[in-house]
Amino acid sequence: MSRSERVTDWLKANLFRSTADSIVSVVVGAIALFVLFRIVRFVFVTGRWEIVETNLSLYVTGAWPDAEMWRLVATVLLAAFVSGLIAGFIARSREIEAGVEAVSLSPRARIIELVVRLWPLLLGLALVLALTRTVMPVLLVVSAAVAVVLGRMLGRLLPRRSPPWLAALAVVTLLGVVWLMANGVGLESWGGMLLNIFLAAFSITLCFPLGVMLALGRRSKYPVVRLLSVGYIELFRGAPLIALLLMVDVAIGFFLPQSIVPSSPVRAIIVFILFTAAYMAEVVRGGLQSVPGGQVEAAKALGLSPISTTFRIVLPQALRNVIPAIVGQSISLFKDTTLAGAAMGLADLLNSAQASTAQEQFRGQGLIVESLVFVLFLFWVGAYTMSRESQRLERRLGVGNR
Amino acid sequence: MSDEMMTGSVMSDATQVGGDGEVMIEVSAMDKFFGDFQALKNIDVKVGRREVVVVIGPSGSGKSTLIRCINRLEEHDAGRIIVDGTELSDDVRNIQEIRRETGMVFQQFNLFPHLTVMENITLAPRLVRKLPAAEAEAKAMQLLERVRIPEQADKYPGQLSGGQQQRVAIARSLAMQPKVMLFDEPTSALDPEMINEVLEVMMDLAREGMTMIVVTHEMGFAREVADRVVFMADGQIVEVGTPEHFFTNPQEPRTREFLSQIL
Repeated sequence: MSRSERVTDWLKANLFRSTADSIVSVVVGAIALFVLFRIVRFVFVTGRWEIVETNLSLYVTGAWPDAEMWRLVATVLLAAFVSGLIAGFIARSREIEAGVEAVSLSPRARIIELVVRLWPLLLGLALVLALTRTVMPVLLVVSAAVAVVLGRMLGRLLPRRSPPWLAALAVVTLLGVVWLMANGVGLESWGGMLLNIFLAAFSITLCFPLGVMLALGRRSKYPVVRLLSVGYIELFRGAPLIALLLMVDVAIGFFLPQSIVPSSPVRAIIVFILFTAAYMAEVVRGGLQSVPGGQVEAAKALGLSPISTTFRIVLPQALRNVIPAIVGQSISLFKDTTLAGAAMGLADLLNSAQASTAQEQFRGQGLIVESLVFVLFLFWVGAYTMSRESQRLERRLGVGNR
Repeated sequence: MSDEMMTGSVMSDATQVGGDGEVMIEVSAMDKFFGDFQALKNIDVKVGRREVVVVIGPSGSGKSTLIRCINRLEEHDAGRIIVDGTELSDDVRNIQEIRRETGMVFQQFNLFPHLTVMENITLAPRLVRKLPAAEAEAKAMQLLERVRIPEQADKYPGQLSGGQQQRVAIARSLAMQPKVMLFDEPTSALDPEMINEVLEVMMDLAREGMTMIVVTHEMGFAREVADRVVFMADGQIVEVGTPEHFFTNPQEPRTREFLSQIL
C-alpha cells in the first residue's frame, strides 16, 4: 500500500466514517485551525514580548538583590548535585535488584530519553534562557546539569546500605538551602516564581506528615482522636482557601502581638499546610482503605506491634496506591500559591506580572495578556512536569499491576 | 466420659489430648458472637504438644473463627483460651506473647506485596525478635530451603505462583519460631496442581513434631497426618476422634451426613 493510500484510509476510518462524522470533523477542525492560527499569530507576530524580556528577572526571582545572587546559584547547584546523587543511588540499586549489569546507553540515546521524559521542563528552560540578556543564567543551567550528572555518577558508587544517610542528607540539604537563602534576603523581599516555588515546596513537604497523621487519626480506635481528626478535616475542607489567607493576613494582628506575628510568606505557608493537610488526609484515607484487611491480620499474627504494622505494612501500600491523587493535590497547591499573592499582596509571579504592566514604559498598552500568558506558561511547565514525573513513578512502582 | 465408654472410640472427647500428653492449647466453654449471631457455642477443646488436630466441617460452621480466636484475630466473648500457659485476655502483653508463639497461615496467603520474599520472612524476626539482619537472612534462607524455594528469595510475591506464595507464607510464620502453627484453609485458594506442594511442606512440619491446628477440606491430609479430627457444625464441636475412627466409624448422624457429601 502506498503512503497516500494509507493516509486516505486513516482519514476515512477516523474522520469521515459517516456523514455525521464528516460534519463534526469539518466543523471542529475549522474551529481548531482558527484557534491555532490566532495563537500562533499572537505568539510569533502580534505579541509584544518585550515586557517579558525586560521583566524576566522580576518574574523569576522577584526583587532578589544581585549582590546576593550567589545564594541562589549555590542553592540550585547543591540541590542539583544532591538529587543527582540520590537518583544515581536509586538507579544502581534497581539494577542490582533486577540482577542486571549497568545499563549502558549511548550518550545520544540517553539524551533522547531525557528529552522525551523532561520536554516540558526543557522547553520552559529554553524559552526563559532565550529571553535572557545576560550569560549568567545560561551558565547556571549548564553547571546545574553538570552537577546532576556528577552527582548521579557518584551516587552509583555509594555503598548499598546508604538509604538512611541519603535521607538525612536530603533533609539537611533542604534545611541548609532554606537557611542559606533566608539568611541573606528576608522572606518579605522574596518574589516572582521563586516565591511560588518556595511556598509550594515547603507547604507540600510539611502538609504531608500532618495529612497522614490526620488520616490515621480518623481511623483511630480512640473516639477522642477520631473526633478531633474528623472535626479538623471537615472544618478546613469547609473553608475557602482565600478566606483563610485573608484572615491570617488581617485578623492575626488582633489576636497576636505584633512582635511575634510571623512574616507574610510564613503565615501563608502555615495556612497552606493546615488547609492542604485536610485534603491530603482524605486522599491518604482512601489509600488506607485500599489495603486489604488480610495485610493487617498477617502482621498481627506475626506479632508486629500496631506501630510497625502501620508504618511498615499499611502505609507503604496505601501511599503507593494514591500517588496520583497526592501529586494532584501538590499541583493544585502549587497553583494556589498565587492566591497568597492575591490575598496578602506578596510579590509572587502573578502579582509581579500584573505590576509590570504598570511600569512607565508599558503603562496603558494592554500588555497584560502577554505577561499573563507567560505566567500561565511557567505554571504549566511546573505542573505538567510534576504530573509526568508522578506517572513515571507510578509505572516504576507498578501501581495497579500487582 | 460415659459417652466415650459407650462408643468405645479412642480420644473421642475433645478435652483429652494427644501428642506427648502435655497441654499446649486449652479452650474451655468459649462463646463467640458476631452481633446477634452466635458463631461459636460452648467450645471445649485441648491440643497437646506435638499434636496435629485437623478441623473439618461445612462452611459457616465456625472452624476458621475458632482458630482466629486462638491468636486474637477475633475476640472471644465468653470462656477461656490458654496457649502454652498464657491466658488470652485484654492484656496487650498476653496477646503479643501468644502471637509471638503462634504462627498462622491464611487461605489468601496475605504476603506483603511491597516486600521481597526475603523481606517478608525477615521482617518480623528483625522487628519483634530483634534479630540482626544477617542472622535473620541466614535463617530465612534455611527456611526457604525447607519449603523448597530458595531461588525465589529476591522476588516479589506477585511474581510467584499461588503454591509458592503459600510456601513463603509458611516460611514467614516459621521464622518467628512458633510453638504452634494455625492453618486456615491453606490450600483452598490454590489451583489443584499446587495443592500437593503445600501439603507436603505441612506434612514435613507435622513429622518434625510441630503442634498444629489445621482447618481444611483435604480429607487425604486429615486421614494421613492428623492425630485427631474435630468435626464442627453450626458453631459447635459435633464429634472428635482419631482419623481411623472418624472416617470408618463416625457416630453422629451429622458427621455421617457431612462425610457422605464429600467422600
